[in-house]
Formats: sequence, structure tokens, C-alpha cells
Amino acid sequence: MIPETHSLVLTTDYRVPDPSRVWPLLQRRRDGLAALGAHHVFVYTSTTDPERVLVTIALETREPVAELLRSRAFFDWFDAVGVEDLPAVFAGELIERFDFVGELGAPGIVVVGIICVDDPAAFRAHVSETRDAFSEAGIRRVRIFEAFDDPNEIMFLHELSDPATVERWLRRPDVAAEWFSDAGVGAYPPLFVGRLAHMMRIES
Amino acid sequence: MYVCLCLGVTNETIGRAVAAGATTSKQVADACGAGSECGRCRRTVRAIIAATESDKRRPPRQP
Repeated sequence: MIPETHSLVLTTDYRVPDPSRVWPLLQRRRDGLAALGAHHVFVYTSTTDPERVLVTIALETREPVAELLRSRAFFDWFDAVGVEDLPAVFAGELIERFDFVGELGAPGIVVVGIICVDDPAAFRAHVSETRDAFSEAGIRRVRIFEAFDDPNEIMFLHELSDPATVERWLRRPDVAAEWFSDAGVGAYPPLFVGRLAHMMRIES
Repeated sequence: MYVCLCLGVTNETIGRAVAAGATTSKQVADACGAGSECGRCRRTVRAIIAATESDKRRPPRQP
């Protein structure tokens, strides 16, 4: 039986000596990415750490996640950008999206993190119920992804308009307790704050 | 999250190995395989061990 295709995102967050090398290397591997089933690639650069990048690849594939990650392409790519210690990889699917503005204009600043929630269904319901608070706080977009390997693990992306709004958002104790408490703990990377630097669409 | 890309071992699996008594990256590798192939995930494995140890030392939350 041929396994069905499934959609997923793979996200890695790591530090490299020269982040400007990441995008050209990805562009040169366009065919390899297409062979893996990638249809979009997003590269974010940190606004707080000049050596940090976050890369998200959206794919359609029949391959199990573990098989994908084991492919030589990933290791070659980490080698090429100079990553020695491999970062943990988030693999999951989009489960919730809120857009609070119509036309986004220039890319804003994103806050990305990974958290573990006790009750994913209750968490989603709570986010939906409190969506007005996001809008009032200056959030332009919210994306929530659920991990394949752990239903309690969530990756979130909040997009805000400017650094001052981000600063206020990060300092709100209620927000910090709910969204940022697992940042930098164990396998989870510290909170990523940055901008979309490049986006690639790959036609199948 | 997938920590060991060679064997597809997740942080949840590594956390269980640590909870069962593994206190070094070698013991984790013996328990679940993570870090036993290329070894490039051992830094993250050590971070998970440290986080678990730190969690154990934390006083229980007040009701």
C-alpha cells in the first residue's frame, strides 16, 4: 500500500558564524528540497542575536518524519552552513491561524517559541476565546503548530508590527506565563525574536 | 522535537530515559539510542539531562 501524502512543517533554530550564507545555500539546494517534497521555505534572522537563524520548511510528503530527517540532505545542509552540534527539529502541522490585519505590508517582527501544554484542546479553546486580547496588544498574526511526536508540544508564531510592541508583549506577565515559560529549557530553544528575511516557493 | 536525527529519537523519549535514571549522554545513548550514531545531538541530550535535574531540585508548586 502506498502511504498517503501528509503536510508538515520542519523548523530548526540555530546559530551560525555567518547567517548570510544560509539563504544562498538553500537556494542552491532547491532541487534537493523539491525532491523532499518542500513547497515553501522561510528564513528568519534574529533581531537580538546576529548569529541566530530560524528556518521553516513546509512539505508535502509520503515519507515518515524520522525518515525525512535521516536523509543525507539535512546533514549536508547543516555541514554546509557550519553547524556542528545539530539542533533539535520541530516537526508538526498547522492547527490554528489568526490574522488580525488584512493587508500585512512590510514583514513585522516574529516571536517564535515551543511550549508543552497540559491540555492541547483546552489551550486551543482558550487562545480562540482570548483572540481579542492579541489584536488589542498589536499582534498581527498568530500561528499554532502541533508536534507530530508529542501532542502536548506546540510551536507558536506571533507576528507584531514593531520592536516597541514586541517589547511590551514579552514583558506582559500573563503572556509570559502562558507562552514563554518553556523557552530555553531542555531541547527547547530560547525564544526567537526576528524578521522574515527570505521566502522561497518551490513548484512541484 | 526530534533530537537525534540519525535514529529519530525525540526529546520525550530522552526525557523518559533520564527519568528512568540516565544521568550522562552515554547512559541516554545506551537506553534509547540517542547520540549513539553521529553524536552531534549530544549537546541537546545534555541540556535535557540538565533540565530534568533542575526540575527535580525545584520545590513543589504551592496549591
